[in-house]
Formats: sequence, C-alpha cells, structure tokens
Amino acid sequence: MSAASGGIVSRGDFGMRLQNTPQKTLESWKQIAAYLERSERTVRRWEASEGLPVHRREHEKQDTVFAYKHEIEAWNRLRTKCPPDLSIDEVESLPTVKPATNAYLAEHDAITRTMHCYIAGARAGDGELMRPAFHPSATISGYCQGVEYNGSVEHVFQWITANGPAPNISPRFARIEIIETIAVVHLEVQRWSANWPVRMPGRPTYSPCSNATASGRLRTSCSIGTTNSGRPSEY
Amino acid sequence: MTNEYLTDYDAIVKTMQMYIDGSRQGKSGLMRPAFHPDASFFGYAGEQPATGTKFLFDWIDKNGPAPKIEARIVSVDILDSIAVVRLEVAGWSGNLAGLGVRMSDLFTLLKMPDGWKIIQKAFHWHA
Repeated sequence: MSAASGGIVSRGDFGMRLQNTPQKTLESWKQIAAYLERSERTVRRWEASEGLPVHRREHEKQDTVFAYKHEIEAWNRLRTKCPPDLSIDEVESLPTVKPATNAYLAEHDAITRTMHCYIAGARAGDGELMRPAFHPSATISGYCQGVEYNGSVEHVFQWITANGPAPNISPRFARIEIIETIAVVHLEVQRWSANWPVRMPGRPTYSPCSNATASGRLRTSCSIGTTNSGRPSEY
Repeated sequence: MTNEYLTDYDAIVKTMQMYIDGSRQGKSGLMRPAFHPDASFFGYAGEQPATGTKFLFDWIDKNGPAPKIEARIVSVDILDSIAVVRLEVAGWSGNLAGLGVRMSDLFTLLKMPDGWKIIQKAFHWHA
C-alpha cells in the first residue's frame, strides 16, 4: 500500500518504520507493539477494546499471532485521522479485518471504524473529515450550556470546524450495541479543548450515536450530545 | 474529575485483559488476580448449571490454550465504585470447548484498593 507516501500518514513518521522491516506481516505481539510504538499490554488491550486487527495461527500448543501491516495502518489511520482523500467507500474496499471468524465481530469492527472517523474529525477540528461517517439525513439533538441544538447533522460539522483542533480528546467506547442492521454507540469523549472553553468552559461531552447499516456500510444516523458538569457524552 | 472516567475505564479494560489472556493461554493463574476471592460464577454448561469460580478456573486449565480467541468489549458501564462489562468472545477452542464457539459474558466489577476486581461473571455459551 502506498499510504505511507500518500500524505495520509497519521502519526509523524509512521510509515517510515517500514524500512527496517521489509516483510508485510508482523509476527508477534512484540513486533506489533514495536510497530505501533506501544507496549505489548497496550496493543493487546487495543485488540479487545478498539478492534486492532490481529490474526492467529493455530498450533498445537502455542499462541502465535500475526498482523498485516496494511491492516494495522488502515486501523491506525482511521483511529487517529480520517484522510480527506480517502472516502469511506475506499476505506471499506481496503482488505477487511478478518471478516472471517465471526460475523458479530466483523460488524463490531466496522462500527468502530465508522466511529473513529467521527473521532478523527473532532480531533482535527474539521467537520468535513467526519462527514463520511454520517448518513446525509442524520440528525443531532442535545444541550450545550443550556442551549438546545436540534436538527441536521450539519450543525455538528459546523460546530466542529468552528471549535478547531482538539488534539487531546480521549474517546472511550462505553457501549456498542448491535441488533442486526442497527446499532447504538455510547461514546465518552474527554478532554475537549481548543475554542471549546468559549462555549463550554472546560466541560467534557457525552455522545451516544445510533448507527444503521445501509447497503453494507455503517453510517451514523443520529447524534445526541450533552455536556454536564461531569463529562460530555454522545450517542 | 475529567480523568477519573478514563482512569477507571482503562483499569477495567486491563482487568478484563487478564481474563482474556488466561482464557487464551488456558492458564487460570493469569486470570485469578482479576477476580475477587469471593467472586461468583454462573451459567449453563450444556444443560447443567455451572457455578463457582473453581469450576471456571478448573475448566480453563483443562481446556488448555484457545489461541484463536477474539474478544470485543461491547460495553463498560461505570457507576462510581462498581461497573458492568459485557464481553463477546468468539473463536473458542480447546480440549473442552470444541471449535469456533462463541461466548457472551456479563461481568460485574468492584473498585478495590488494589484495582478493579471481577466480583461476578455470568456467561452464555452459544452452542
């Protein structure tokens, strides 16, 4: 994949590390961890909580894992940034994350990828980055400092852009509930920053999102946000 | 205030990882520290109710490695000192599990001085 040279590298010199390891797979937790510059513990956790695409080879006794670099890159790219020159369709045409073993897990991972697109836009302060994650008819409802926001999801895109970059946001998936073709995601987002204090002094947000599958792709159909004295959350 | 949620969330995920690691390697010793000594365990193994963490730990050790396990955290619901986690684990294998089995788990956790501990696990085995 030419992602490393295509200007869609998400984290500094992310793609450059390829030079030292010419093979296309990472053959252990150690290698995966080194590739992502995190501890083995952390990348194992990411597999469970954020859908890091790790594969396994079946042996008699040993637990051997491996990962495809292109999948790790795709995951990392969507996790940290939604490249403007990569539409959601192109993203989904990338080699899929082991759609194999279990249909439920595949849907779970597809949803986290959609949500990471939203997160990327929020982090970059660019409403257009997150647009591919939303259905065109998606709506938003919620209170912001006592002001009610209601209507088209365009409000979200505008607000995100006006707010500007919020590089320190720390999102966590509180819930990903899937019922066949529909899903609800409860995302907790901490550490909003940038211009946020002008409107919502130092508050975090809470945002539950409803997702629906449309011709095999997951789009956020509804975003509800509230800010309270505790934290911001979203659905 | 802001970081408390993140700290708790990440600590809970770490505790769950101990359970996942123990399941994958077939070593109950890896998951025991994640459980409160008085933790309970309930579910159906076939048509027979299975209870008690001893059943779980014995089963894990006898089942042995399940290297293809894939786990996803479906929800983490935190209420101050307590939490509920729903976990989906697919790709079970091993001496007792059979092949490619999926298990749904509900865990209740308690925040203790030495970290978040599982105080209850209920499971459903998708036969």
